[in-house]
Amino acid sequence: MEARLTNIDRSEMLRYLLWHGGEIPEDVEAALDRGEERIFRLARPRAVWRVFDYRPGEPLGGTDFRPEGEDLKAFLQDCDQVILLAATLGAEPDLQQKQLRLRDMSEAVILDAAGSAAVENVCDNLCVDLAAQFAPRYLTDRFSPGYGDFPLEQQRWFFQLLDMPRRLGVSLTETNLMLPQKTVTAVVGISDLPQKKRENSCETCSLQGDCVFRKEGRRCGK
Amino acid sequence: MENEILLLDGAMGTMLQAAGLPMGQASEVWNLTAPDVVADIQRRYVEAGSRVLYTNTFGANRLKTKDCGFSVGELVAGGVRCARRAAGELPVRVALDIGPIGQLLEPLGTLSFEDAYELFKEQVVAGRDAGSDLIVIETMSDLYEVKAAVLAAKENSDLPVWVTMTFEQSGRTFVGVTVPAMALTLQGLGVDAMGFNCSLGPRELLPLVKELRQYTDKPLILKPNAGLPDPATGEYAITGAAFAREMQTALPYGVQMLGGCCGTRPDFIRNLSQLFKGESAAAPLPPARHGVCSARHAVELSGVRVIGERINPTGKKRFQQALRENDIDYILARAIEQQDAGADILDVNVGLPGIDEPAMMTRVVKALQSVVDLPLQIDSSDPAAIEAGLRAVNGKAIVNSVNGKREVLDSILPLCKKYGAAVVGLCMDENGIPADSEGRAAIARRILDAALSYGIPREDIYIDCLTLTVSAQQEQARETLRALRTVKEELGLHTVLGVSNISFGLPARENVTVSFLTQALYAGLDLPIVNPNQDAIMDAVASFRVLSGEDQNSAAYIERFAAHGEKKPIVQPESGMSIADAVLRGLGGETARLTVKALMEKDELSVINDLLIPALDRVGEKYEKQEIFLPQLISAANAACEGFELIKARISRRGGESVSKGKIVLATVHGDIHDIGKNIVRVVLENYGYTVIDLGRDVPAQTVVDAVLREKAGLVGLSALMTTTVKSMAETIALLRRQAPDCKIMVGGAVLTEDYAMQIGADYYAKDAKQGADIAKKVLG
Repeated sequence: MEARLTNIDRSEMLRYLLWHGGEIPEDVEAALDRGEERIFRLARPRAVWRVFDYRPGEPLGGTDFRPEGEDLKAFLQDCDQVILLAATLGAEPDLQQKQLRLRDMSEAVILDAAGSAAVENVCDNLCVDLAAQFAPRYLTDRFSPGYGDFPLEQQRWFFQLLDMPRRLGVSLTETNLMLPQKTVTAVVGISDLPQKKRENSCETCSLQGDCVFRKEGRRCGK
Repeated sequence: MENEILLLDGAMGTMLQAAGLPMGQASEVWNLTAPDVVADIQRRYVEAGSRVLYTNTFGANRLKTKDCGFSVGELVAGGVRCARRAAGELPVRVALDIGPIGQLLEPLGTLSFEDAYELFKEQVVAGRDAGSDLIVIETMSDLYEVKAAVLAAKENSDLPVWVTMTFEQSGRTFVGVTVPAMALTLQGLGVDAMGFNCSLGPRELLPLVKELRQYTDKPLILKPNAGLPDPATGEYAITGAAFAREMQTALPYGVQMLGGCCGTRPDFIRNLSQLFKGESAAAPLPPARHGVCSARHAVELSGVRVIGERINPTGKKRFQQALRENDIDYILARAIEQQDAGADILDVNVGLPGIDEPAMMTRVVKALQSVVDLPLQIDSSDPAAIEAGLRAVNGKAIVNSVNGKREVLDSILPLCKKYGAAVVGLCMDENGIPADSEGRAAIARRILDAALSYGIPREDIYIDCLTLTVSAQQEQARETLRALRTVKEELGLHTVLGVSNISFGLPARENVTVSFLTQALYAGLDLPIVNPNQDAIMDAVASFRVLSGEDQNSAAYIERFAAHGEKKPIVQPESGMSIADAVLRGLGGETARLTVKALMEKDELSVINDLLIPALDRVGEKYEKQEIFLPQLISAANAACEGFELIKARISRRGGESVSKGKIVLATVHGDIHDIGKNIVRVVLENYGYTVIDLGRDVPAQTVVDAVLREKAGLVGLSALMTTTVKSMAETIALLRRQAPDCKIMVGGAVLTEDYAMQIGADYYAKDAKQGADIAKKVLG
């Protein structure tokens, strides 16, 4: 299965741009289109994944990686296997960002939003393919390091087990942040039981509801 | 035999894992804890026919191995010992293996070129002392990282240096390096062999091998994977025999060193050995193509190539001010402008009395290559500044310039050789500029001989026959053209010429400049140094390319003028629009026009305080009321910027101090790399008239404090996106309180709240850029 970027969700882009529902002038709409076009042109979507046996509290099968945190444990309660996955848009969006900042910061911010929406789309597509591959078993949504009490430090394991520098060209900083920036890692559980949608829930968000959306009584989830 | 095929080894990591090495552990540790296992794998390669063994030290740098309990020196020495043992009495060479550091270098990442050099140096010194026979730098994606490693190898040992990089099927590496850029840069740096490893299978790499061959006469290395892995299992399916047959197709292209990477085993090497016994590689030919490059873009010298002259403070007050105030963005904007206008190469001159030219050169070169992909021409008369520029360049640069003076040749040509740069030679010497073309051609010959004697290849020597002002020395225009023709036809060298000088002192200069440019191109000029922002100049170049046949089917010409016809649709300003309206709607051009108009009636400061700032205030209010959203806020700030920039330029022309409402230091804290929020705040603050000292991202606490003290900034703004990096924000605040207690601190970032901000000791919490500006107003006025 190949990593694919098929769609950039406009409403998701607008959320990243803190749009509050007002009128969007024609020239801003055109700038949003340009951001989308740029990402389609620049992105080189790539993804890697691997399946491991999973038992709560124990290291993943064949590794020393023991996933931490109660939120992840609850998330995987029905699962006996997990997929570790990583997807990236590659370096070009980051590089373009540096030039665009000097040309027009507004376009740079839009590019950033389009990139974030795009890498989510690459993950969504990958998960659709994985769901087909693992049917009739069921997949959970994605759960990433930094969500809830799943420590960001455990990002290291994704790098080692998925060989991300060599296979994706992604590196991890000393503080466990990924470069290029438009990169996502996640755990997806595999279960015999149907799994409910839990993506972007406030209960597992590290902002604990202290985000701009909740302050306005809205949510960022779909 | 000189071109005898040399067999390398196969995969090490795969074999170690098969031998029971747990996933995720640094494999170099086994050099010390299980040397028998390592040496045994290598012995099997030797038995299969390998005559070069790579040491098991791929990741033995200080960053990757810091928690493993052994030093770099121990790991490397252990690795060399294992390989030596495996080699036994056989004529096997031991190659110190150096892989990527594992952290991305600037500009994409945060590791500096200088730090990368130090990390590699430590490995090189250890490998040299342990008795390696050569150094191999492999699996690289970033040409800048390769350059740091090659310099570390060459400056700290006399060992041969081989380099192989990893490409995708697209013909680029993960960070966009192209094959010609790799070849030109490494040929220039004087590596002993180059090629590809890992990446793909031999079949997929073949087109890249063919391309590489065109740019270099070095022996080529091919160490591919065992075909393409099955995406589901990661397993390689190809057999050793099939691998060897595919490798055979690369021999006619000068591949002399062959081995395997991921998925290959000793039987693969045995297959190679059986197939290639006693065979030779094709003899190297001189490179068919040449030129200069950045890491991502090569400019082949096979036609007219325009060098943009605008990054130069000479006679430009605003540029001088930018240099003095360290306003790098102003310089970058000049680069982007020229790239857009069609420049192929950018001249970089930052010489100004009173500034540290070498340091500025390093800073500007690094900044330029973070935003433009054009090759650079390092322009200075100071050897220290030239070396600083050449060291910092990612790619192959041009040095501007040497001349016929012996001491100049002897001080600058060795630098060009060392860093693999092309060089511009001016046809003048201690006696000045010869009045006739014969005299100039004679100096060109002298420069050519000197450059050749330093080992600089002929195709990297560019001669400038010098343009004199036609209004002062009328007969000299023809002499310049005559000399140009001689250099081109008799010496066969590429030619450079600064063109604009011809028309100095005349009215309607452009006519004369363009006419001279066209004649010079006809006489054999390859590299005009011009202002590409002047349409007439670039039109003349475009026309010449049609007439010379370079622009096939006039395609580029047609595109250029088709694009000229259609103007981008823009929002039409209504008549009677105020500055406030123009700013709100993000109309930069209109804001500038109205600013000019306003300046006829008011002085600069009143225009700022009575018109531009209130316009921004109104935008801010609308943003707070959620009538407009983020892109509109920023567009408005940008529009106002056009007005401010105009006023700045005007004051600067007068020689006055720049207008500023106060200084603010901004930084994304140490450990954090998400700087887009900080960049938004910066744009807005600048457009309120504050001077922003932007320290970038991943900024250590002490750097923030030092900048605050040096600049006497009244306010500092810190951003952090992640919960984990807020800790580093708290540390920065604590240090500021101790060392710069008078400075006010505002903070922002996704995970922060008012309470949290107070808790870590900040004075203000800014939820967005608008609030940042409000706080600045409160603190600085």
